[in-house]
Amino acid sequence: MEKLYIEFKDWQNFLRGKLKEKRIYAPIKSENDIPFYEILNEKNLTDIVYDKARPVEPFKIFLFPFKEKVVPEIENFQEFVVLGVNSCDLKGIEILDKVFKEGEYKDPNYEKRKANILIISLDCKEPYPTCFCSLVGVNPYPSKDFDLNLSKIGNGFIVEIGSEEGLKFLDNDSRFYKANDTQIKILEEERERTIEKVKKINENFKIKEPENLKGMFHKEYWQKIEDIKNCVSCGSCTFNCPTCVCFLLEDISKNEIFKKVKIWDSCQFPGYARMASGATPRPSLFERYANRLLCKYWYMKENFKIFGCTGCGRCINGCIGKIDKRKVIDEVLVEKMKV
Amino acid sequence: MGKNIYKPIKCEVIENIKESPTINTIVLKPEEEFSFLAGQFASLSVPGVGEAPFTPSSSPFDKEKLEFTVMRVGRVTEKIHQLKKGDIVGVRGPYGKPYPLEKFKGKEVLLVGGGVGLAPIRALFLALVETYKDYKRIVFCCGARTPQDYIYKDKLFNEWQQLCEKIPLSFRITVDKKDENWKYMEGVVTVTLDNLDMDVKNSVCAVCGPPIMMKFTTLKLLEIGFLPENIYLSMERKMYCGVGHCRHCMIGDLFVCKDGPVFTYEELKDKPEIWV
Ligand SMILES: Cc1cc2nc3c(=O)[nH]c(=O)nc-3n(C[C@H](O)[C@H](O)[C@H](O)COP(=O)(O)OP(=O)(O)OC[C@H]3O[C@@H](n4cnc5c(N)ncnc54)[C@H](O)[C@@H]3O)c2cc1C
Ligand code: SF4
Ligand code: SF4
Ligand code: FES
Repeated sequence: MEKLYIEFKDWQNFLRGKLKEKRIYAPIKSENDIPFYEILNEKNLTDIVYDKARPVEPFKIFLFPFKEKVVPEIENFQEFVVLGVNSCDLKGIEILDKVFKEGEYKDPNYEKRKANILIISLDCKEPYPTCFCSLVGVNPYPSKDFDLNLSKIGNGFIVEIGSEEGLKFLDNDSRFYKANDTQIKILEEERERTIEKVKKINENFKIKEPENLKGMFHKEYWQKIEDIKNCVSCGSCTFNCPTCVCFLLEDISKNEIFKKVKIWDSCQFPGYARMASGATPRPSLFERYANRLLCKYWYMKENFKIFGCTGCGRCINGCIGKIDKRKVIDEVLVEKMKV
Repeated sequence: MGKNIYKPIKCEVIENIKESPTINTIVLKPEEEFSFLAGQFASLSVPGVGEAPFTPSSSPFDKEKLEFTVMRVGRVTEKIHQLKKGDIVGVRGPYGKPYPLEKFKGKEVLLVGGGVGLAPIRALFLALVETYKDYKRIVFCCGARTPQDYIYKDKLFNEWQQLCEKIPLSFRITVDKKDENWKYMEGVVTVTLDNLDMDVKNSVCAVCGPPIMMKFTTLKLLEIGFLPENIYLSMERKMYCGVGHCRHCMIGDLFVCKDGPVFTYEELKDKPEIWV
């Protein structure tokens, strides 16, 4: 893959120039440790965060918004650019693609929406205490599925070109030049170092093979895990997750004109799977909590041949009950070993 | 871009037939052809109210009209019961996998339906009758709470029974609680499985009914010698999309909408929460 280099100041000016023609979203410094996506303007351009890890919101908000019209389908999508997508979120797009685009049935909006987004991804530099990408086979730097990738090296960026559209975005601008060997070497070393950081963060979590959750649906295992009792069924873990795809359809037809909207739903809500009889397959908190983990590490693996978890850690950060699911997985697998 | 998967076909209501105190059959005329195979289902929407999955209960060979037999249990089904001739509803589908009739060939086929579960079984029954030469014989077991709760009374107690003289078909009919005019069996539907003179090891069975009925029927079928791979269960789950996207209908890693709604017991036996 072609690697270019651009000085920090030059990149900022280049982006400034782009603001006139494109709508750009980028991770902007917040009062928290973790940046939020904002629409870029002259003012916040200097607050873009390039040297941490993923933003608060999962990338899915751009492809699968909280609420959207599906009947009739949306006709026109605006083109835009998302800067700052991290490796874990690119992995998340793989799951969304499998669900909404690659199966027998195609979502009415997804593919069109996706075709209008240019992705500028970013290497992670400072993983958060909740990051565990490397435990689920994801590297903290992108290697595919982006249009451009940036990695902050020294006083500038290494820019990798991932697609024709990405190349076009650069406009043959002479401020980008071929990266030299020293810069590339630093890039590789920094990437190794970030992997090591993620490993260090997770050194106290014993179980390295979450696929062992397969078959672990019996309530008895989960009831023993004290932390799960703190779950308040808020659904934050599912809404924050880049691969949680559950939604419901609401009919808003008027007379004989059919209209429908698609809205996020959460398997953590008690009424999620309730049927006409009033019965639900997962009446207890433990079963619902278990369902989410089983879905990620067992069901989605069977469905799509990849884990439904990217290790982004958002479900840990966002948990009202302060549950660290890595610990829960450890404890459940210990229960399994006892049997 | 192909057709929008969520856009229904308009259908006009032709008739709304009362079957029992809680169950109606609604007869529809679709604006464009709607074909399905026995076992598949469709999503029926009442404009402005909502949408719910139902199995067509009419014959898959009937191209003129489409029927659904619907039990009144909630918001959408309530409105379906109120529909009048000339009203417009929407149907999308068909979804799911049909009964694998090729695997039924040359075998004795047992049908077990309970309550509103007779609806999907009816479509299968009508398809089997149409191709009856392919099977050794058909044994149709049905149950309901009381004689009044039976749906398709005209058909079940007349028309269909008359078929027994022409094709290899027999009925075993029961109610949980009989009244003075009842001349069939009494007891829950599993009583119809006592003393079955079938070559059970080589027979297939299709079951549809409330979860508790499916559970006990399955256990009984296993006990009398049916093989897990020959027991076809029609599963119900909460559904929205019908196409394997929204994940509401999952039984473990299986989608009821896409991989089912009919599964063999063999496919289900190691999955979570099968009897709800
Ligand atoms: C593949 C398939 C095939 C089917 N085939 C048939 C068929 O042929 N015939 C048939 O009659 N049915 C069939 N069903 C079942 C049918 O889909 C349901 O009965 C239907 O969805 C009920 O819709 P509703 O809007 O009327 O009920 P809802 O309004 O959704 O309510 C159903 C029940 O849910 C509970 N409930 C809902 N909301 C709440 C709440 N806020 N608080 C507490 N409780 C609540 C209540 O107990 C209520 O009675 C099938 C289902 C599937 C999956
Ligand atoms: S399950 Fe949690 S860690 Fe995994 S992708 Fe979803 S939010 Fe991220
Ligand atoms: S975020 Fe935490 S409290 Fe909320 S539903 Fe998920 S596990 Fe439960
Ligand atoms: S109903 Fe949506 S996945 Fe089955």
